[in-house]
Amino acid sequence: MKYFLDSIFKAPFRTLGKTLGIALVVPLFLLSQLLTSSLPAAYAQSSSQSPTLSPRQVVEYALTLEKLEADFYRRAVRATQGGSLAGVPEMAKSILVSYGQDEAQHVTDLSAVLLTLGGNPDGVTIPANPNYNAILKRDPFANPTDLLMAGQYVEDLGVAAYKGQVQNLLLAGEAGKVVLAGALEIHSVEARHAAGIRFLRQTLLKADVRPWVRNASEVIYQENRDNSPIPFSNEAFDGYATREEVLALVSPILTAQTSSVSQSDTSNNQSNPSNNQSENPTSFPAPVQGLW
Amino acid sequence: MLVGMPEILMAQGGSNLKTLTFSADDNGILNFALLLEELEAAFYPAVLKSGKITNSKEIDYLTALGNHEATHVRFLRGVLGTNTLFETKDLSLNQSGLNALLSDRTKILNTAVTLEDLGVHAYNGAGPSLTNPTYILAAGSIVSVEARHAAGVRALLDRPSTETVSDRLVKDADLNASMNPFMGRAYDELYTPKQVISAVGSLNILNNPINGSLVA
Repeated sequence: MKYFLDSIFKAPFRTLGKTLGIALVVPLFLLSQLLTSSLPAAYAQSSSQSPTLSPRQVVEYALTLEKLEADFYRRAVRATQGGSLAGVPEMAKSILVSYGQDEAQHVTDLSAVLLTLGGNPDGVTIPANPNYNAILKRDPFANPTDLLMAGQYVEDLGVAAYKGQVQNLLLAGEAGKVVLAGALEIHSVEARHAAGIRFLRQTLLKADVRPWVRNASEVIYQENRDNSPIPFSNEAFDGYATREEVLALVSPILTAQTSSVSQSDTSNNQSNPSNNQSENPTSFPAPVQGLW
Repeated sequence: MLVGMPEILMAQGGSNLKTLTFSADDNGILNFALLLEELEAAFYPAVLKSGKITNSKEIDYLTALGNHEATHVRFLRGVLGTNTLFETKDLSLNQSGLNALLSDRTKILNTAVTLEDLGVHAYNGAGPSLTNPTYILAAGSIVSVEARHAAGVRALLDRPSTETVSDRLVKDADLNASMNPFMGRAYDELYTPKQVISAVGSLNILNNPINGSLVA
């Protein structure tokens, strides 16, 4: 039960360490030093809170995650076309294609919104070959079991990441209204994706999992929150993650690959026409190198 | 665990039906969400009682969904406190309308999809109108669970987890454009409370009159 695990994993570091390996604690610590933005607002019932990220910063952050998700699905789909995942059932293949199309649509539309906010969507980049091995400490495209496990982690984290920004966008007032609406439109679709992958794992792999999160140990972010008026430890409520927490988790993936993995593919550059770390205009910290 | 039948299923449709008046503010929105949760919380126990669902996985899912919705009801009532607009016993279900939705497995699961999809669009639509930051986080923590429900039941039916264009309860042309920067399968559009009430009405399960500035 989630409330039982709550008592075990009160410290977020321990929850993260449980699933992704203790090595994540190190980048989390480093990032906490590197990030320039202030800590997120406390979740108090005060109406005098101020946003910790501007709508434009939220879009840049979301676009990074969406580019990563879209890239992840592109590689997964490619691996089903004669590669290591050629044997996955049609039901799973069509879902990977469909979800990948959704993420690509999010990239397109968030890019357009970022332009209207004065930002540069092409400047929000991911490495040509993200280090997806960081998710499970092995190639997630090597077999269906690992692919779906990694996909579940990524989608659940996406849900929590969008949820973690709704207060910032609300507190931005009129300036945040369009981005808030767009974020809400995406947030629940990510939840549908997460549920769909969970259903595949339960149905195809006989995994002990459901479309919803039954247990804090199922996710790589901190599901349970003490001192919140919202009972996140109950499975009827999904948890959130702050930008700092999410970036700490994805930072090892955003680390440029220095050695080849089985799915490394430079042809992916077409999706990142100006993939150049030096052009990155966001406030993201430089990828932490060499920790893996 | 579900203990007995919810009060709402015992309610009698009398001549003195309580009119539900939703104000266009945080309290009105939370009460509106409560109404949707009450309908969902009433539906799932009725489904299980009908005996029409026999597959163990489907029973497992629908039992969990019923528990989640009952939890949402308790949570919202707790948050609203003295601002709660109605008690569960004030709601009057149309028994023949409800029975029509319980005719067979396919009808039941498709109705569950409709209720869950509608809940998603309703919470999304209400979000930007909330003023209390804690409320929008709470709504967010609930709406993604409703989306997981929708996707899960859709999967039981071999329906796509996201909504295809033909699958939507409100067509693009009828959506409030200013509320919806994005449209299409990759998005769960924002429905106005009025659109949600119209969709609820088409299910023919609630007898109470509904009005107020929120749904005008």
